[in-house]
Amino acid sequence: MTDAGYVIAAYAVIVGGLALYTFVLWRRLRAARGRDDEAR
Amino acid sequence: MSTLRREAGLAMAVARKDALAELRGRHATVSALFFAAVVLLLFGFALGPDSARLAAAAPGLLWLAVVFAGILAVNRLHLLETEDGALEQLALYPVPRRVIYAGKAIGGFAVMLVLALVVLGAVGVLFAIDIAAAWFPLLVTVVLGAAGIAAVGTFYAGVTVRLRAREVMLPLLMLPVLAPLLLGAVKATAAALAGDPFGELGAWLQLLVAFDVIMIVAGAATYGFLLED
Amino acid sequence: MKTRILGFVALTAVAAMTGIGLFVVPADLNQGDAQRIMYPHVASAWLAYLSFGVTAISGILWLWKRDLRFDAVALAGAEIGVMFTAFAIWGGMMWGRPIWGVFWQWEDPRLTTTALLLALYVGYLLLRQLTDDPERRATRAAIVGVVAAVDIPIVHFSVEWWRGLHQTATIGSPDRVLNPAAPMVFVGTLLGMLGAFTLAWGYLMIRRYQLARAEVQREEAARLDRLMSARTAEPAR
Repeated sequence: MTDAGYVIAAYAVIVGGLALYTFVLWRRLRAARGRDDEAR
Repeated sequence: MSTLRREAGLAMAVARKDALAELRGRHATVSALFFAAVVLLLFGFALGPDSARLAAAAPGLLWLAVVFAGILAVNRLHLLETEDGALEQLALYPVPRRVIYAGKAIGGFAVMLVLALVVLGAVGVLFAIDIAAAWFPLLVTVVLGAAGIAAVGTFYAGVTVRLRAREVMLPLLMLPVLAPLLLGAVKATAAALAGDPFGELGAWLQLLVAFDVIMIVAGAATYGFLLED
Repeated sequence: MKTRILGFVALTAVAAMTGIGLFVVPADLNQGDAQRIMYPHVASAWLAYLSFGVTAISGILWLWKRDLRFDAVALAGAEIGVMFTAFAIWGGMMWGRPIWGVFWQWEDPRLTTTALLLALYVGYLLLRQLTDDPERRATRAAIVGVVAAVDIPIVHFSVEWWRGLHQTATIGSPDRVLNPAAPMVFVGTLLGMLGAFTLAWGYLMIRRYQLARAEVQREEAARLDRLMSARTAEPAR
């Protein structure tokens, strides 16, 4: 793998991981709140 | 300073109670010793038969065996408490929590010391290491290492009392914290055995002392919170 | 609402800095393109430490004030901290392979310390999961969190000492980008990445805190239900 490959792998996992975590968090938050109160 | 003396006396009373229970049943020491022996044997199979390689690896193997067996020992030492609820009963006495911690840690230290000394002897025999020549620095290292493992072990045993899956959680929590102690003890042992060619023995022993002091203080300070409920 | 704005700002910042890090900032003379990895790697490491600091302090605040909201902050810090720690390790490995030729170097004190950091806080999270009573969970977690935080400087120091005694030349050092004498464009990119990641961190901390509070409140409600209805309920530990 060329250097570029490692760079892409690094950024993809880190930035992608942030995005994934944000998405999962958002879903869990909706689930936790949705059943209690609608007014969010 | 009579409070200190009184507290020390109480701590020794706790330690003595644990020591008597252990002497009678010998649950922890015997199983830990056996386990350490088996571990050393497996190390021999895994890394041998080249004796030069084993001799070079001996300090690491010594302390790995002591740490792993030590976890087993700590687990068993505190098992009786969790089953009988003895820890709660102890908490009912108007004794400062740090004293209970100190007493238990001293008891743990006694077991760990015995364990470490026996394993040291075993390593000397199995991996052809001359421990007699450097016996004093080795003894200091063993005492400091045993103290650190006991301090950390007593603390995490308190944390995992009545915890589900505590047999897995105790090593999982203890091992990362013990990493600096492992490093220091192994390096000090290696330096001692080699005759301290680079003069680093003192530094590693200082690391061990610092680790022990910090962990004992942290354990004593927080033990009270664990016994609250 | 304000949190949502923070989220969008963070998103934009991270996207922008990713673009800059990948395409705009020049490659390093010695380390080449691999040096680009340093920006998210270093930023992740700093935020990991920040997160665990928050966890330790929130834990102490719980022990002192007995307000479960502090525990929720501690949990958020630990989970997000574990995530950033994993990122930092991954970044370190991706950087290590082209520069050192290997994915792992035992003598790099930061890499080994970060690996231990991961182990410590995964243990913290597992411990939390195994305790049902919210207050006991908070207490156990706080104590473990404090001891873990105290252990970290000891680990770092001991590994540094370990490296120092073993005199081998390391070809590339991650320190380069942290060197005050480094070219401004590198320093600027690093600070920009750090800023963007910190914004994201702030947003995620708030959301994770909210989730923790929501879940605790549902736990409490469910518990009350059980106490009311069941006659043979045994308090769960």
